[in-house]
Amino acid sequence: MQPTATSSRTRWRSAIRVAAPLLLIFLLGGCMLPPEPKTEAGKDVFNLYLLVLALAVIVFVGVEGFLVYAIVRYRRKPGDDTLPKQYHGNNKIEIVWTAIPTIIVFVLFTFSMITLAEVDAKSDHPGAVIEVDGFQWQWTFRYSNGAVVNGSAAKLPVLAVPVGEPVRLILKSLDVNHAFFVPDFLIKRDLIDFGEGIPPNELEFTVTEAGTYSGQCAEFCGAGHADMRFSVQAMARADYDAYIAGLLAAVPSASPADCGTTIKLAAVQSLKFDPQSLSAPAGESFCIEFTNNDTVVHDVGIGAIEFDGTDVQPGETFTYVIPAMDAGDYEFHCNIHPTMTGTLTVGS
Amino acid sequence: MATTTLGPATGVSRRSWVMDWLTTVDHKKIGVLYIVNSFLFFFAAGILALVIRSELAVPGMQFLDHDTFDQAFTMHGTIMLFLFIIPVLSGFANFIVPLQLGAPDMAFPRINALSFWLLPLGGLLIFSGYLFGGAAAEGWTSYVPLSNRSPGVGTDLWLIGLTLVGTASILGAVNFITTIFKMRAPGMTLFRMPIFVWTVLVTAVLILLATPVLTAGLIALFIDRNYGGSFFDPSVGGNPILWQHLFWFFGHPEVYIVILPAMGVVSEVLPAFSRKPLFGYKAFVFATIGIGLLSFSVWAHHMFTTGAIFLPYFAFMTALIGIPTGVKMFNWLGTLWRGKLTFSAAMLFALGFISMFLIGGINGVMVAIPPVDFHLHDTYFVVAHLHYVFFGGSVFAVFAATYYWFPKMFGRKLNEPLGKIHFWIHFIGFNLAFFPMHELGLLGMPRRIADYDPNAGWTLLNSLSTVGAFMIAVSIIPFLVNIIATFINGEPAGDNPWDGTTLEWATTSPPPPYNFDRLPPIHSERPLFYLAHGDDHNPDGSDLDAEQAGGAA
Repeated sequence: MQPTATSSRTRWRSAIRVAAPLLLIFLLGGCMLPPEPKTEAGKDVFNLYLLVLALAVIVFVGVEGFLVYAIVRYRRKPGDDTLPKQYHGNNKIEIVWTAIPTIIVFVLFTFSMITLAEVDAKSDHPGAVIEVDGFQWQWTFRYSNGAVVNGSAAKLPVLAVPVGEPVRLILKSLDVNHAFFVPDFLIKRDLIDFGEGIPPNELEFTVTEAGTYSGQCAEFCGAGHADMRFSVQAMARADYDAYIAGLLAAVPSASPADCGTTIKLAAVQSLKFDPQSLSAPAGESFCIEFTNNDTVVHDVGIGAIEFDGTDVQPGETFTYVIPAMDAGDYEFHCNIHPTMTGTLTVGS
Repeated sequence: MATTTLGPATGVSRRSWVMDWLTTVDHKKIGVLYIVNSFLFFFAAGILALVIRSELAVPGMQFLDHDTFDQAFTMHGTIMLFLFIIPVLSGFANFIVPLQLGAPDMAFPRINALSFWLLPLGGLLIFSGYLFGGAAAEGWTSYVPLSNRSPGVGTDLWLIGLTLVGTASILGAVNFITTIFKMRAPGMTLFRMPIFVWTVLVTAVLILLATPVLTAGLIALFIDRNYGGSFFDPSVGGNPILWQHLFWFFGHPEVYIVILPAMGVVSEVLPAFSRKPLFGYKAFVFATIGIGLLSFSVWAHHMFTTGAIFLPYFAFMTALIGIPTGVKMFNWLGTLWRGKLTFSAAMLFALGFISMFLIGGINGVMVAIPPVDFHLHDTYFVVAHLHYVFFGGSVFAVFAATYYWFPKMFGRKLNEPLGKIHFWIHFIGFNLAFFPMHELGLLGMPRRIADYDPNAGWTLLNSLSTVGAFMIAVSIIPFLVNIIATFINGEPAGDNPWDGTTLEWATTSPPPPYNFDRLPPIHSERPLFYLAHGDDHNPDGSDLDAEQAGGAA
């Protein structure tokens, strides 16, 4: 048979028939990947995801391919009024195409249970146990040595973890539901206050690579949800120990002797300062003795002089030393709760 | 026993047309009211979608504050689901089901009117939060404790409005079930009912079993918020997870409430424009029933990351539900196979449904796998998934139904070229809007955020998605022009413009009050085909047993 225009067109068509699905797979596969996983469990999830994606692309290309084929092949010709053969169905074919999705879902289910066991595995001796408190709309990280880190809108909280060891997080909600989510770890878990007697959720992972990974709350928790971000710093064991020891050496509270004038300020329930207006002398340093009577952590900041005070836990008191200020009215606020504000009048 | 006797012939009314529509108990007019009302809510919720996408187009806060954004996505989801997709499909069912059964009306015409009129009332109550200091802003799922603690009456109005809408749904379901079991024409056995009727029947059963659970939850939450109840408050012995169970015990069957009638529509449109019967009628019916049954055992797959449920069970049941769904997909493809396809606007939307719902099914299987869901849960991947099911699935089917049944409803055919323009802009815009969301979710963008880090690498995909959303909005213009132009000067449709084979095409367009002057004999699920072409080469022949019209149903 000699080469003709028809056969070269046939060859061209069959080339398209092979290339088009491959191109589709490439396009879909290339832009449908999660980040490269940075935890051991994340690698398992990633591999499972690849299997799922491969099956998904095969099903997609198969079905859409047939659809396009049918649309082109079975187009009704103009003026053709004859009826096609009236197939009502075929039980053998029905059995076959019931079996196909059955096999697919059983394969997927089996692999997903294997991966689930790996992802949910708990070690007997985790390298670090850190309590993560979520509240509207910040995070508190409590380390086993007593160090506490509170986030604020100005300074996102950093969770330090050792690399290469299992890290166990104890996830507590102080108010509504939140979720701890680090995309690079390919995992998230909800923070839910289940009520008395029910232990909080735990999440365990082993980070495989030192670095900084951003995370944020994934369960909608109100107006500040989008800003409830944090980062995880994974570091070598020695660095981790030094890091959390450094956190402990916190800024000491000022002693009353350092203060010329001391003003008392409290935080009270439902995110309010009491009193909401303060007055202080102009031109000299003074102190604010801040007592947190609320159920969540607060601090005091004065935007105009870029003062950002240490966080104060519920039930605790801390004395801030405020540098000398010019006379005038200033706004003070809680850095963690931007809606919690008051007025500071400096000068007579 | 239902008969085809005509109603009172003296139905000519002297009331004004406004009073006529306000007081009607005719299933066809109520169906039209449902559809018009639903589309009005669709446009309102669509505008909210544009607001959301505008804010998300680039990082930073451009138009809204966080609270306004939260209200926008809460209202968008609530209105789209409860006041557009569910009622618009109920509207088509209201119009079409009695016609397809050869019945003169629904079983309870006055209850039918009541269940419609509760909808605009409930919808306006839900929206009225905007007049009283802000609408509900906890998301359409309204998880406690957030919804338990939020001040403002917006959430209370949301709860009351949804309770009314839910009640409307339940009343409608009772009406459909009664109509389908008691009002079928002589010869219309259950296995001769059109597939659309079957899907409406299973949907009605799902509504009847699932919606009361939601309603109970809504009332419990209302008591918690206003009368010191403690159903969901953990500090006084309540359980916040209980809300999630109640919500999703309704919420997952709800997904099938929304998709089954849409599948029914597609199963009417594909055969009509392929000139073949649906491939595997009985398999399709059993798959529909199977999906309905399984839908009650999968609810907690929305709760994989709560740490409060037994994952293997819900993962297994969720995997199982993929099987009947796959069977349906193959049956649709089998219907096209060796057919003679015509690509009307209705057919294009039905084919669009198949190709988009396929994606919604595939990415649904992905998030149904617990370890994968640990990564994808509450990210934009889920937003992509649910829009491929609800929008790529149900809404495409709603437009297919509109182009397919409009001639029956109003006696005029919608303009085909405009319909095709509508489809193509819609189809491209839809994929542009929602396909990038898969990758956004994989990269870790959570849903329900108004702002994101400019360094996160999400900006381009978000911008593309916003362009797509506006394309969808543009595609509505030819649709509206088409509707108006057709009312002014549309091509008369005749009784059966598509060569349809089910009973609604046996009467005039629009049908008279009480629907049929006389019915053709019903020997199979395609009575009009039999009338026109005789024996339809049914291989087993069983449907064509010589049975006289007027035989027992």
